[in-house]
Amino acid sequence: MKNKKRIKTLLIYLIMLFFTVITIGPFIFTLLISLKGAQEGIFTTVLPQDPTLSNYVDAFRGANFGAFLLNTAIATGLAVPLNILFCSLAAYPLARMDFRGKTLALTVIISTMAVPFQLFMAPLFQLTGDLGLRNSYLGLIVLQVGTAFGIFLVRQAYLTIPKALEESAYIDGANIFQVWFRVVLPMIKPTLITLGIYTFTFTWGDYLWPLLNTTNSDMYTLSIGLAQLSQSFSGANMKLISAASLMTTIPSIFIFIWLQRYFVGTTSGAVKG
Amino acid sequence: MEMKRISKHAKKGKAFLAPWLFLLPALAVIIAFYIVPIFESFAWSVLDYQLILGEGEFVGLDNFRYIFQDSLFWLALTNSIVFLLLVLPMNIFLPMILASLVNQKLRGVGAFRLFYYLPVVTPMVVAALMWGMLYTESGLIGRLVFQLGLFDRPTNLLMQTATALFAVSVITVWKGLGYYMMIYLSGLQSISDEIYEAADIDGASFIQKFFRITVPMLTPSVTLVSVMTIINGLKVFEEIALTTGGGPSGATTTLVMYIFDKFMDLDVSTASAAGIILLLLAVGGSLLQMRISKSKEEDLKG
Repeated sequence: MKNKKRIKTLLIYLIMLFFTVITIGPFIFTLLISLKGAQEGIFTTVLPQDPTLSNYVDAFRGANFGAFLLNTAIATGLAVPLNILFCSLAAYPLARMDFRGKTLALTVIISTMAVPFQLFMAPLFQLTGDLGLRNSYLGLIVLQVGTAFGIFLVRQAYLTIPKALEESAYIDGANIFQVWFRVVLPMIKPTLITLGIYTFTFTWGDYLWPLLNTTNSDMYTLSIGLAQLSQSFSGANMKLISAASLMTTIPSIFIFIWLQRYFVGTTSGAVKG
Repeated sequence: MEMKRISKHAKKGKAFLAPWLFLLPALAVIIAFYIVPIFESFAWSVLDYQLILGEGEFVGLDNFRYIFQDSLFWLALTNSIVFLLLVLPMNIFLPMILASLVNQKLRGVGAFRLFYYLPVVTPMVVAALMWGMLYTESGLIGRLVFQLGLFDRPTNLLMQTATALFAVSVITVWKGLGYYMMIYLSGLQSISDEIYEAADIDGASFIQKFFRITVPMLTPSVTLVSVMTIINGLKVFEEIALTTGGGPSGATTTLVMYIFDKFMDLDVSTASAAGIILLLLAVGGSLLQMRISKSKEEDLKG
């Protein structure tokens, strides 16, 4: 009986390991390619014969990786706090107050989630041009602040906290804004951090909209820069692309690992860490 | 008396304003950058809109008539639907397996959860480029399909008409595994341990428990995953644009690629008309899926 259980456990680990190879494998291969020197064939051997970091250096020197990194960091740095602020503000009356137009507001906000971006990208492109948002950081993040997804996520979190605390704060004379900021917000910290992670990941990796709204190569984000590099998928380039790809991914992964313990799932139930 | 009435009135005014003040920033952004362009695209679909002039004449349903007569549109529509049919089963079952694996009380499952989630936080462009390298003829997958005897020489699956759409769908599924796993995980944690314990006493195997308890109990999560797969799957862009560009010979030209190409040709009215078809598919597909799941759920209860 005990032996049987041990075999079963071993089997589960083997299956988990198999899936790990699938999810992590592409990163390992990219890493190995990125470490190969100029003289080496990309696919001649799996392991680099003479590992070198020269591709990482070249990405900064030749491929303008530093400027793309800065642009992406600024856009993301704007989008994350703004989205958390706007969503947590908007979700509060939708969770706690009764007012005329509430159902309409909620319906309008949620229904934007089902609309594919490609439907309205052309009018949006014209709009940002008219507003002078082309080639600007604000132009990059117009769809990332006050997102319907974020409002929905935060509203679900508000609905799970008991009203009693807010009521006693009102009795103590706090106004509605103070109650929201001092009492309610601290209670949904994990959800706010989760929203921050989602916003970071999305803005950091966003491609199609930055591609359309950016015509000046000085304003390229990492995703656009990488895509431009890959236009010529030649041997030498592939090593450079590999190095730049991994450097693009590392901040995302780092942020996620760092804040993982606060991370809650998308549905209302919290996922145990 | 008079004072009291005024202050009460003021309070009422404030109570009316407060919710809208909270809503203002987000609602302003959503109206300006979602609602207005969405309605504008509806308008453009019945105009002959010139992006450079910023105006267009009313042409009725001509744009729709045009796309319905365009064989490339029908190919794109078919490809989008085939793509969904490829992705849906993989998205429903693979993350479910992952979730039930990492839901075990075993040492180190936290690390496995993290490993499965890493593709989710990886930028889509990076995912597309990494898989593009694996798929090249001398890349790992390119050679693997030869060694397995599936092809008589090393082959790039992205370059074959028959396999390109499937090859792309693998990238999409890979990227989403961890995300959907988390949805299932929260669904799983709402199933009480007692059911599994009872099954253990009856001597049920892991496989039996998976199909007899886990799958049926996860019906609400399956609905969520399916609806999200339909909505997201119809929007897929990077993994196609950066690997096949819609080729070979239109094999991976989905509706989104069709719209993108029209937009790049500044044919924005045709793009808007095709966009509306895309929207109808997203909404229709989601409603259909919810309806199917609902009847299943009722079967389960009855």
